[in-house]
Amino acid sequence: MFSRILIANRGEIALRVARTCRELGIEVVAVYSTADRDTPVVRMADVAVHIGPPAAKASYLYIPNIIEAALQTGAEAIHPGYGFLSEDPDFAEICAKEGIAFVGPSAEVMQHLGNKAVTRGLMSDAGLPLLPGTLEPVQSVRDGAAEAERIGYPVIIKAVAGGGGRGMAVVRDPDDFVEAYLRTTAAAHAVFGDDRVYVERFLVGARHVEVQVLCDNDGAGIHLGERDCSVQRRHQKLIEEMPSTRLTPELRAAMGAAAVRGALAVRYRGAGTVEFLVDSAGRFYFMEMNARIQVEHPVTEMTTGIDLVREQIRIAAGQPLGLRQEQVTFSGAAIECRINAEDPDRGFAPTPGVLDVLEFPGGPWTRIDSGCAAGGRVSPHYDSLLAKVIVWAPDRVQALARMDRALGELRVEGRGLATTAAFHRAILRDPTFRAGEHSIDFVDRFMTAAKGGSA
Amino acid sequence: MTEQVEQPVTPGTRGDLGELCARATELVRGLPGPVRRVALRTGDHGVDIEWSVSGEPVTAAEVAVPPPARLAAATDAAIDAGPADDATYVVVRAPLVGTFYAAPQPGAAPFVVVGDVVEPGQTVGMLEAMKLMNHVIADTAGRVVEILVANREPVEFDQPLVRLGTP
Repeated sequence: MFSRILIANRGEIALRVARTCRELGIEVVAVYSTADRDTPVVRMADVAVHIGPPAAKASYLYIPNIIEAALQTGAEAIHPGYGFLSEDPDFAEICAKEGIAFVGPSAEVMQHLGNKAVTRGLMSDAGLPLLPGTLEPVQSVRDGAAEAERIGYPVIIKAVAGGGGRGMAVVRDPDDFVEAYLRTTAAAHAVFGDDRVYVERFLVGARHVEVQVLCDNDGAGIHLGERDCSVQRRHQKLIEEMPSTRLTPELRAAMGAAAVRGALAVRYRGAGTVEFLVDSAGRFYFMEMNARIQVEHPVTEMTTGIDLVREQIRIAAGQPLGLRQEQVTFSGAAIECRINAEDPDRGFAPTPGVLDVLEFPGGPWTRIDSGCAAGGRVSPHYDSLLAKVIVWAPDRVQALARMDRALGELRVEGRGLATTAAFHRAILRDPTFRAGEHSIDFVDRFMTAAKGGSA
Repeated sequence: MTEQVEQPVTPGTRGDLGELCARATELVRGLPGPVRRVALRTGDHGVDIEWSVSGEPVTAAEVAVPPPARLAAATDAAIDAGPADDATYVVVRAPLVGTFYAAPQPGAAPFVVVGDVVEPGQTVGMLEAMKLMNHVIADTAGRVVEILVANREPVEFDQPLVRLGTP
């Protein structure tokens, strides 16, 4: 087992990883930009290294400074968290070259999974159902339009190098295809430096349901159930829950088995997530696989009792999985709300500022994952996540009540600061959501209805 | 119990009052006794903190006990404002994380020694990071007053390396 780990991240995930390291008796090296000098993970760490100015490009994304920090402090492993370098194959490769264990899959696997077209091919070969779509990127706008006709509208145009909700456009009307194609390829070129796109069927009324998997170095893999992440705004998740109200136990088992099959087919190692869309008839289709721990991982932890970061570290240290599939049990219902420092009344504009008052809820089965503390600052340089509020209860009805209670206790005050907590509470009270009958366009409908327009 | 690898904060050439206030607040929070005096300056000068221990006023600079990380900053901030004269100091800081080398090769003469006058753009040291050598450049002219790190010492981003006084 490692004796010292460097956490190449910041905010809530850095603190969360540090906590498990502490429990495992592993020393923590925190790295921080100038903007994060006075943050909880830096205070908790055994060693802290200042690695750059606030801009992520020069700090949390600047590989040489992070590697040097690891070498200087004798860190045996690096945990990349999520975002930043967590799915950067170059970073994984450099770690390997420097003799530092990378908590995650190999650079080669990451490279495959970072290319949506390659991944779809691998998953298709593993027998996972895919949405009708192109396995190769389309060659031209005419090619794309022809494929769209073959696939059947509505379609979605997706950048090969995109992911996480970025670089995609839905086309419902064939007349709109050319404009959408040109717009998406131009944006993909500008943002990712890669203008290739592929085209697939767009499912109406689908749910985003992802499956958590764990794979070890000996080729063993298990799934830890699903997370329903259908409540999204502009493809950014707002609320996640487990179990999904759309899944029957049979569907859960089938999707879990498919996810493990797919992960093992790409030789995955560590904690990963296989994303599916599930239509109203209960058919599921592979979307993408994420090669990192996810923001919403606490939802799985609360219902399974398994510490995912602990498992990641054990696997990275070469240990085999500690559990067989039959030993994984699911209990109750968990919900997570991502509370962002954004103003819903101003188009969810981020509101950086000083946290004069920050009081978190507590109480039964109420968990807060946050990198912020009272007196600290919500920085304009990074994402606007203020805190993840997670609750568990024996069933969904009680979990909804518990989350509403918890969000009611949350107090955030500071000049110019706003949060999405009230928006979240409004969603929790929405009849469609409460009935579990929402789908992936729920937030759009919810916001349109709130404005008084037609749903 | 955080071991801060970073060196003390010196405002250096940046005189941000807001940053000084934030720093002072941070330091005051970590004091072992009630604060008596806080002095903030801008420009090239730093923060002075005075606090009471057992009713006796003690200046930061006089505390000899090895302090926890935050207090070290308080002590050093006062010391780091420079020797008690009216001279203006500029500190050349590390632009990246790496290992400091005082000379171009082992056994060669160091780039600079105390007393040398440097020109803007002059190399005052090297930083090795991932097998690549990077020059540490002085932005301004000045006389080398103090070399703050040892040869082959690992340094972090923004760590003070060389103090320059007026030429």
